[in-house]
Amino acid sequence: MQIDEKLISRLEHLARLELSGEERAHIQGDLNKILDMVEKLNELDTTNVQPLVYINEEGNVWREDEVRNQLPREKALKNAPDEDGTFFKVPKVIDLDRNDA
Amino acid sequence: MSVYDQYETVIGLEIHVQLATQSKAFCGDDASFGGEPNTHISTISLGHPGTLPRLNKKQVAYAVRLGLALESEINLHSAFDRKNYFYADLPKGYQITQDRSPICIGGQLKIMVDDREKAVRIHHVHMEEDAGKSMHDSDDPYSYIDLNRAGVPLLEIVSEPDLRSAEEVDAYMSAMRQLVQYLGISDGNMQEGSMRCDCNVSVRPKGSDQLGERCEIKNLNSMRYARRAIAFEVKRQIDLIESGGRVSQQTLNFDPVTGETSPLRDKEDAHDYRYFPEPDLPPIILDESYVQKIREDQPALPWELYARLQEEFDLSDYDATLLTAELSTAQYFLQLNAASPHPKAAANLIINKLLPYCQEENIELTEFPVGIAGLGKFIQLIEDGQVSNTIAYQTLLPELIEQPGTEPLELAKKMQLIQNKDEDFLTQLVEEVIAANPEKVKIYRGGKKGLLGFFMGEVMKRSKGQAEPKATNALLREKLEA
Repeated sequence: MQIDEKLISRLEHLARLELSGEERAHIQGDLNKILDMVEKLNELDTTNVQPLVYINEEGNVWREDEVRNQLPREKALKNAPDEDGTFFKVPKVIDLDRNDA
Repeated sequence: MSVYDQYETVIGLEIHVQLATQSKAFCGDDASFGGEPNTHISTISLGHPGTLPRLNKKQVAYAVRLGLALESEINLHSAFDRKNYFYADLPKGYQITQDRSPICIGGQLKIMVDDREKAVRIHHVHMEEDAGKSMHDSDDPYSYIDLNRAGVPLLEIVSEPDLRSAEEVDAYMSAMRQLVQYLGISDGNMQEGSMRCDCNVSVRPKGSDQLGERCEIKNLNSMRYARRAIAFEVKRQIDLIESGGRVSQQTLNFDPVTGETSPLRDKEDAHDYRYFPEPDLPPIILDESYVQKIREDQPALPWELYARLQEEFDLSDYDATLLTAELSTAQYFLQLNAASPHPKAAANLIINKLLPYCQEENIELTEFPVGIAGLGKFIQLIEDGQVSNTIAYQTLLPELIEQPGTEPLELAKKMQLIQNKDEDFLTQLVEEVIAANPEKVKIYRGGKKGLLGFFMGEVMKRSKGQAEPKATNALLREKLEA
């Protein structure tokens, strides 16, 4: 697999980034190097090796169902780029194209 | 035969159920509905850098509870994944869900359609979290974001494409709503969004075993919308095929105002969610004893209670269906029946009087002015023959509602509603009636025995409903035949 112009554009869109021509060329080089490294790793025979997902063996780190550690609204809104004291305000997005759950 | 009759509708459902936990899925924010905007939030639900999610143990227990009721295989090794997309009401930029290994696999839910039972197969049930809410119309050019709902625990129940009509979808949704209420894992309230569904709809020529190209209608939050959306979509797809076109796989939005579905996106620009394992949440590893514990604590299921009402209390299908439709009604019935063990009378009282009254007044059964104890005594008065059924319902009950604190027996006495079978009392009444109607008596004695009803009515009138019918009937016959 090679990173081409088309794939860079797609990744740019997915990450909501806008890259300059220079940055695109740079990133294309980086990503291709990463892929080469993965290709290298693929040379190893891993037929009977389970994929490692969690470094830690531990499972079931759960909590009790209790209400705690909520933030006062004032604090919660403090770092928002825009707010009206009640809501977070964002540029209008009537994009129904989303997953609602 | 209409061209529409030559097609079969095939529907699969994804139901999202909000769980009735105190706190959210991965942090301690209040998970209840409503609340002032942006007050049920924390650094975790806001997706601040450096924060870590921690799973609510109740979400796991509730998922297993549902899985057991649906006869699913409980997946003893399940895990969470990230589903990546950008939207203003999704602070982290990804939704935590289960993509590779959902907690419940397979299963079924039985529904009744046109008096026939049908098993709808479940594909799987997985755990995930809800997103926040956006409001678009209050202040152009802004959208307002309320994150109270962000992170509320959900179960997504994915069915196989086993449903064949809007009626079956309705029955399936109702059965699922009833089930989650019985299990105590959700209020199943569609108005408040505790239950929402996405419908995957396709059509195919009758007799075909190939699935047609499907369209997904998103976010139907009422049964009425679901019915209308399906009806519209089925007709659209058939018209398209009949005019030589092809249905293309799309995600659709339903507009309740126009009653039409319209495309949100085509398959070509379908979302690329880039699922990957959620590294912040360790896997969920269950064992048989955990599952067994939940199995043992499982509350009564709707169909078990339905069967019990029919078998143990000898109630009709009609009565049992109505009484088990809502868990609260079924529990109320059991309590009333415990207070006064006359199941048929309790069923009649609830179905004919209490439910209509409560619906009219918009209150819960448990808020009915007369309590269980009082109603038990009310039933007992009828069963003991102290007050006639008619008088009890028409005269005593309305007064009891007005004076909920009073003892039914005392009130009946005060209102002179107690039936009297004292022989002297009845004899006098019967003789009066006979003396006052010589013509009718002659006709009766001439062979028109049907007039007995007339004499009964007259005695009742004179006694103001207090004459005990059985004894009165016997006495009337005796005097008239003499």
